[in-house]
Amino acid sequence: MPILAVAFVAFGLAFGGNATLMEAGTYSLIFSIATIGLSVLLGRVAQISVGQAGFFAIGAYAVGYLTALATWPPGVPAWVQYVLATLAGVACATILGLVVGFISLRFRGHYLAITTLTFNLIVIGIIHESKPLGGVDGISNVPYPQFGSLQISGTVTYWYVLAIVVALAALTWRMLASRTGRAFEAIRNDELAAEVAGVPTRRYKILAFAYSGALAGLAGTIYVSYLGLIVPDAVSVALSIDLLLMVVLGGTGSLAGAIIGAAAIGITNVYGHSLGNLRPVLYGVAVIAIVIVLPNGLVGLMPRFGRRTTAAKPGPVSLRPAIPAAAACDTPWLAVSGVTKRFGGLVAVDDVTFTLQNGTLTSLIGPNGAGKTTLFNAICGIGRIDAGTVRIRGVDVARYQTHRIVALGVARSFQNARLFGDMTVLENVVTGAYASRHFTFDDATATLRILGIEQLASTFAKDLAFGDRRRVELARALAGNPQLLLLDEPAAGLNASERDRLRDDLVAIRAAGITILLIEHDMRLVMEISDRVMVLNFGRLIADGRPANVQSDEAVVAAYLGVAS
Amino acid sequence: MLQLIVAGLTVGSTYALVALGIHIVLRATRVINFAQGEFVILGGLLAFTVVNQLHQNVWVGLLAATVGGFLIGLIYERIVLRPAARISELTVTIATIGTVSVLLYGHAMLWGSLPEPLPAFLPGDSYHLGGVSIQRQSIAILVLLALALAALYAFFERTTFGKAIRAAANDPLGARLVGIDVDRARAISVAISIALAAFAGTIIGPLTLVGGAAGTAITIKGFVGAIVGGLESPVACALGGLLVGVAQKLIEGQFSYGVADPAVYTLLLVMLLLRPRGLLGARAVTRD
Repeated sequence: MPILAVAFVAFGLAFGGNATLMEAGTYSLIFSIATIGLSVLLGRVAQISVGQAGFFAIGAYAVGYLTALATWPPGVPAWVQYVLATLAGVACATILGLVVGFISLRFRGHYLAITTLTFNLIVIGIIHESKPLGGVDGISNVPYPQFGSLQISGTVTYWYVLAIVVALAALTWRMLASRTGRAFEAIRNDELAAEVAGVPTRRYKILAFAYSGALAGLAGTIYVSYLGLIVPDAVSVALSIDLLLMVVLGGTGSLAGAIIGAAAIGITNVYGHSLGNLRPVLYGVAVIAIVIVLPNGLVGLMPRFGRRTTAAKPGPVSLRPAIPAAAACDTPWLAVSGVTKRFGGLVAVDDVTFTLQNGTLTSLIGPNGAGKTTLFNAICGIGRIDAGTVRIRGVDVARYQTHRIVALGVARSFQNARLFGDMTVLENVVTGAYASRHFTFDDATATLRILGIEQLASTFAKDLAFGDRRRVELARALAGNPQLLLLDEPAAGLNASERDRLRDDLVAIRAAGITILLIEHDMRLVMEISDRVMVLNFGRLIADGRPANVQSDEAVVAAYLGVAS
Repeated sequence: MLQLIVAGLTVGSTYALVALGIHIVLRATRVINFAQGEFVILGGLLAFTVVNQLHQNVWVGLLAATVGGFLIGLIYERIVLRPAARISELTVTIATIGTVSVLLYGHAMLWGSLPEPLPAFLPGDSYHLGGVSIQRQSIAILVLLALALAALYAFFERTTFGKAIRAAANDPLGARLVGIDVDRARAISVAISIALAAFAGTIIGPLTLVGGAAGTAITIKGFVGAIVGGLESPVACALGGLLVGVAQKLIEGQFSYGVADPAVYTLLLVMLLLRPRGLLGARAVTRD
């Protein structure tokens, strides 16, 4: 990034006298404001938008209208008009970004592309039809911004936009390096696991849309006052596609890529005029070729510098920190009453009622398809239940989104260990404590030490061996300091020594006062450590009691072995 | 009013065929082809070349465009959709958007950016029915639409190969296990879809001119049709497309030409939010 900034400064100094080059450079910078936002959206949150030109249009038309056509009260200086117009444009684009983001929560993938494209078409359609905005002819004679004797036009605009781009790149970089960036990354890797780790995924997706909308709008405000003119054709779907192309070309998700992509297209736009229609044809071919052959874009060609990771200092195993003790509490952490969940005609969970005693380990067993995982989902608020109530520490969580349930002190693991593959183990664990704002990398290292896996801290989760994945997932679940831990088949696929380690960990976690509900098929493990065993079959609880009693229950034996009645 | 409805059904037949094309590609590859409307334009232009430049009969032009569309569809699947599908759904989406750019400006390069006329399929005066004049061309379009739908139905429901394609779309792994060449089935599906688009571009050509930059609008309106009817069912897609055509013409007639497009697009957003399975699709959901 700093190299890129220096390159742009050098470019400006070297070619300041060349009007064509400066024009190309200025457009590159203007578009890179929009591509930075889109790159975050597409690359970091994996949400596509083919409607960025709509936001761009709103920014451009706001400044065009307010500075060229609107009547201001007498005495308002031109620069105040410009600043207010810019703020208004960015504000409108941001608000529409929030709206589009909210609508987009319902969609994924190509539906999202259609939705955003449609948004763009609607904006253009309205502009076309609206007389005050000049209809097809647009708005011309938009004045250059004037600050005292300094007029932002020509080469001055280049430096003005460069300053804005540097500031925005720095701001965005800081955002991506913070908790927000980790939340984005977690959502991109695995949205459900992110929500279960306590990340308010809906809010972040809306935020990403609003941010990309705001930046596209800002780019529009600068564009209109640089060119002095805005017409509907300039902000058509073609521009949305161009912006998408710039991001893909440079390298989706990379800030440097967003700027390089904008520069590449900005320069060919100015120099490629002689190519006529061949230019956009080649763009299209380039997009197709790049997404297929070079998914990381141009920046993918450059050597990657080592990623910033916080190295953990391995400590002797004997010095393992203790698991933080659970808070004493009289209300049961989990009380499930009459919970029923249907999928079409199938009743997956049928009128299940139980209350866990705090600080105990309860196992939930049953044949495959008995509804165990569905019950977990019901407790976590994943999908609405059809009847019954789930109370977490006495709170009815019927209308809670998953991340709010998690914030009450719940953590869960998944049957298939859903880690964030492109994040390191340490980052995975930090994200697991999303709800507690003050959780640091040092705290995460401590959590890894509890489980004796601090040496894995800087490994990417996707590179982990299977048994380690399970352990890291347990660490991620523990990081949030949960009071209620839901574990979905944590022993599945583990070898004998890993399994014994898991048993010891579970006993230690219970000793810290944490309430555990365990789904497990490993009967030896279940019988060794459970305080209580519940058996689910065809969605119904068919047995519930001390391990030894359940083991000899006829109904349970029949369910497992299929004894003829 | 009736006049507008007939006009709406006529343009709606394009949307119906586009909706159907989107449906077929979506079923086979789990992807929405953003370039569908551009292929409509391409089909019309192919027919234009055959008819106006090679001086052939317009029916020959229709045949050439449809066969040409089929072949182009095979190539499109092989060099764009299949490689992109190996990476991710997002990649395919972006690749089809890139294709829009290639086709939109490619058309303008090869044929110029101004729309061109095609001769009528049924030349002659309009029919007059109780004060409503119906162009023979509209009749021709609706008959051709019906023929295309019947041919599709026969292919997908009555032939073994058509059934194999549907099986491959429903459960690729299962289809592979019973010996269906899933890649080939997908390629044929895409080819059929593009052939339909080219067919649509040709039959509507004499009325709306061929060429120009309307491709994206056609794609979106076809998609509106598919969503309004219900993406999961081919019949619903076709009906939805016709409905969108009628709605568009009625709005144009009642208000103004420019209001119709934004109104139709807004309808799409509303449908997506309230009834994503379509007006006709909802019944299928409650049934299971």
